[in-house]
Amino acid sequence: MATTTATPVTTPHAPRPEAGPRKRRKVEPIYYLFLLPALVLFSLAITLPAVMGIFYSFTNSIGFGEWEFVGLINYQAMFSDPAILQSYLFTFGFAAVTVVVVNVVAFLLAVGLTARIRFKSGLRAIFVIPMVISGIIIAYVFNYLFSNSVPAAGSSLGISWLSESLLANPDLAWVAIVVVTAWQAIPGTLLIYIAGLLSIPGDVYEAADLDGASKLQALLRITLPLVAGYVVINVILGFKNFLNAYDIIVGLTNGGPGTETRSIAMTIVTGFTGGDYAYQMANATVFFLITIVISLVQLRATRGRSAL
Amino acid sequence: MSTQPALVSENVQAIENLEGGPARGGSFRGRRIGGDSWTTTFLLALCSLTVLIPLYVTIAMAFKTTEQAVEGSAFSLPAPFSIDGFREAWSLTDFPRAFTISLLVTAGTVFGTIILAAFASYAISRNWERRLFRYSFFYLLAAMFIPFPVLALAQIRLTGLAGLDNPAGVTLLHIMFQLSFSVLLFTAFLRSIPMELEESARIDGASTWQTFWHLIFPLLAPMSATVGIFAFLASWNDFMMPSLITSDPSLQTLPVVQSIFQTQFSNNYNVSFASYLMAMAPAIIVYIFTQRWVMAGVTQGAVKG
Amino acid sequence: MRFLLSKPEAIPYFRDLIAEFNASQQDVEVVFDTSSNLQAGFLRGNPPDLGLLNYNMEMARFMARGALSDLKDMPEAGRILPEVQDLVNNLAAYPGRTSVLPYSVMAASVIYNKQIFADNGVEVPETWDDFLAVCDTLKAAGVVPIYSTFKDAWTVSQGLFDYTVGGMVDVAGFYRQLREEGTNVGPDSEVSFAKTLTEPVSRMEMLAENYTNEDAASRGYGDGNLAFSKGEGAMYFQGPWAFGEIAKSGPDLDLGTFPLPMTDDPESRKVRVNIDLAAWIPEDSTHKDAARTFLSYLFQPDVMNAYNESQLGYGTTTDAAPVTDPRILGMKPYFDEARFYQGASQAIPLTIPTENYLQGIVTGAGVEPTLQTLDADWARLALRQ
Repeated sequence: MATTTATPVTTPHAPRPEAGPRKRRKVEPIYYLFLLPALVLFSLAITLPAVMGIFYSFTNSIGFGEWEFVGLINYQAMFSDPAILQSYLFTFGFAAVTVVVVNVVAFLLAVGLTARIRFKSGLRAIFVIPMVISGIIIAYVFNYLFSNSVPAAGSSLGISWLSESLLANPDLAWVAIVVVTAWQAIPGTLLIYIAGLLSIPGDVYEAADLDGASKLQALLRITLPLVAGYVVINVILGFKNFLNAYDIIVGLTNGGPGTETRSIAMTIVTGFTGGDYAYQMANATVFFLITIVISLVQLRATRGRSAL
Repeated sequence: MSTQPALVSENVQAIENLEGGPARGGSFRGRRIGGDSWTTTFLLALCSLTVLIPLYVTIAMAFKTTEQAVEGSAFSLPAPFSIDGFREAWSLTDFPRAFTISLLVTAGTVFGTIILAAFASYAISRNWERRLFRYSFFYLLAAMFIPFPVLALAQIRLTGLAGLDNPAGVTLLHIMFQLSFSVLLFTAFLRSIPMELEESARIDGASTWQTFWHLIFPLLAPMSATVGIFAFLASWNDFMMPSLITSDPSLQTLPVVQSIFQTQFSNNYNVSFASYLMAMAPAIIVYIFTQRWVMAGVTQGAVKG
Repeated sequence: MRFLLSKPEAIPYFRDLIAEFNASQQDVEVVFDTSSNLQAGFLRGNPPDLGLLNYNMEMARFMARGALSDLKDMPEAGRILPEVQDLVNNLAAYPGRTSVLPYSVMAASVIYNKQIFADNGVEVPETWDDFLAVCDTLKAAGVVPIYSTFKDAWTVSQGLFDYTVGGMVDVAGFYRQLREEGTNVGPDSEVSFAKTLTEPVSRMEMLAENYTNEDAASRGYGDGNLAFSKGEGAMYFQGPWAFGEIAKSGPDLDLGTFPLPMTDDPESRKVRVNIDLAAWIPEDSTHKDAARTFLSYLFQPDVMNAYNESQLGYGTTTDAAPVTDPRILGMKPYFDEARFYQGASQAIPLTIPTENYLQGIVTGAGVEPTLQTLDADWARLALRQ
């Protein structure tokens, strides 16, 4: 799913202190009623498919009709499949670059948008607009711009690498995808940084002013450390979202030119459209395990450091 | 993690403080000059063009004639001004139907997410010491780490078997994928509601059911708004799930309809852009009227988590 | 009973036909489905009762897994031209069954602009050298010889790739051997993509490199139809389905077709065919009898002929009427003599991103490594399915 906005990852909370005295009280049955709908639906809609998917990854099913168990052959074939390996390489590289681009741009914008400027609310409103537009539609608009307008501008300015469509260039198509993904992802990140910057008391800067710190020094030495927790959150959330890249790539390059920009999500979905169900379920299972490991590592690495 | 202010009003306040008079905090640029920084304003305005130009192109292209859209530059103004693109896109994509379906799916997701997540969160936070409830919390949270593509193929099958290969199934799955995050937000918020309030209600003879509806749920309102905004954005803009789950193309949501007709637009760029514009416009218009709450809500969600 | 037909150009014709059929009798009520997702239908266990669709690897998979019922006992099965029925069996078969009945065949070859050819004093080429000479003449005159649209990957595979490969290689035989080799396909196998197809694919790359429009990589199918209708290219590697689109913006264009000559022997020229529509009834259908009734109705000679005439298709039965449209008449002798091949890109399972690979070749990836990748993909697929 393309949740573009903030979804904080957090360590579980300690039990509420108030809970202590009520420890041995019998649970009122109505609480089960409150909990049950969510649990049951969740198990049917999320857990069951997950188990089913893992089961089918050990078969040669194409999604219907006759099938049989094939053991680990799908996994074996997968690890020697250059198309799948390339999709992992592309997706992780893309996610890493995009996370950096999005956070740097969003942070700078947030600094600007919390400074003393004119038209503050108007500018903020504009920068947040991309958040409410569907990724695939943005991608179609940019597809047109990249295929027609940008090359036209490029050739009239005499810039050779711009006069050809970025999307048709095997070495640069990923740049277009980063640009469009960033365009859509910056607003959510920006809002979180604005919140972070607003939480810094003004007197911190007054003290810095007295010490004669330059603006850049103030930014790097004071602002950045104070919003470090927000940076952590934004990086974790962004990376997770970008690993699922699908909509924007479908609208821009559809994995091309060649197979240069096929993401993991796209290869998995071909299991549905291309009749390679079991094989791509194996791929999905591996992707799932990798995602879990990354999440756990991130949680461990940031425990206590995230100020949020 | 729970050291941040808990109430959404405080965030709105914080943002309004800045939008109004002198800044309370965070602003250091231009401070020494004492007035507003025009350089920063100018730079930001320049940056905002990256947002505005694609939107301008969309609008300009949508109002062109087919000939002008094919021949001319994307940046030229429509001349003559034509609404043929809209007329054709409207009937070609059957816009009213796709719009209605998108609306129903999104409304269902927002409503369902708020109710289900609030129910579950209340039960969990008031019975945290019970293993069942504690583990349920972590169980529901797990979905935050499961990418949809991993489940997609199996979900296509299961929704088909259950007769949910339609917008109702999409709504249900949207709710399920929003559940983790929403439960996280609600439980954090519920922790900040003093128990005394609830206990006094109970002394007055209110049942748990009544306490929830008359006391807790209204108190949750600001967080419900945040949860609702996230659910709205995720559901309204989603492409992948409806495109895979819904089997009848005439029941598809707006983003998917765009992709179905992308090839049929062929070279009629004015028609395709009119169609993009119609798909974008509702969310942008809603956003313009609610931007203050949207900004506060998103900020709130991020800070609370 | 639900009837699925998704070919956009054919929808109006069949809509009228269904209305007529429903009015003519009381027993069977046909519901017209023009757009449901086929994979999803089979995956969910609710496929349409009767399908009339393009026959490709996707359908072949359904057949090979026994998802389609046997139609051997229907009289219509006996009327199909044997060489056309072979086209079905070339892709896949389920032992002992005739699961698919071809309805319409599309013949595709090079579309050319007769006016541009005449203006530049060139004639339809009959050998590979002739063809290159034509391209050079056109290029020297400042005309784009082959208008191409690489942005849509499928146009690369169905045009450049299928024409060059089909003109040099026995496609059906190649894939038969390839399937026998299975997991052995690779550097040491008797046949392989890298071994058998390097020559035609290198030629394809050469054509793409030298004789296409410069902005081909950022042009799509829609752009191509428009540009070709405006005379921006002399030749266009597309099938007859493009004629209707081209006619929208260039109704008076004088167009013809000729098979791409890939050798020095004019006799070896062949045209590319695909089964544009083929009928089948799924095993899972709950209205098989009704579906069969409507199938027989569709296969009446006058219904079939009227359809093929309107869509520039070739009939599939022994009693089909001959084609008359001048735009596709150039391919008639080849079709009548069965000098045709099925597109080489059509015989590769869809899970291998063939179109993307071929798009990669024309946008700069090497021929040899790409074909070796295809070999490896083929072997891996054979291992697991």
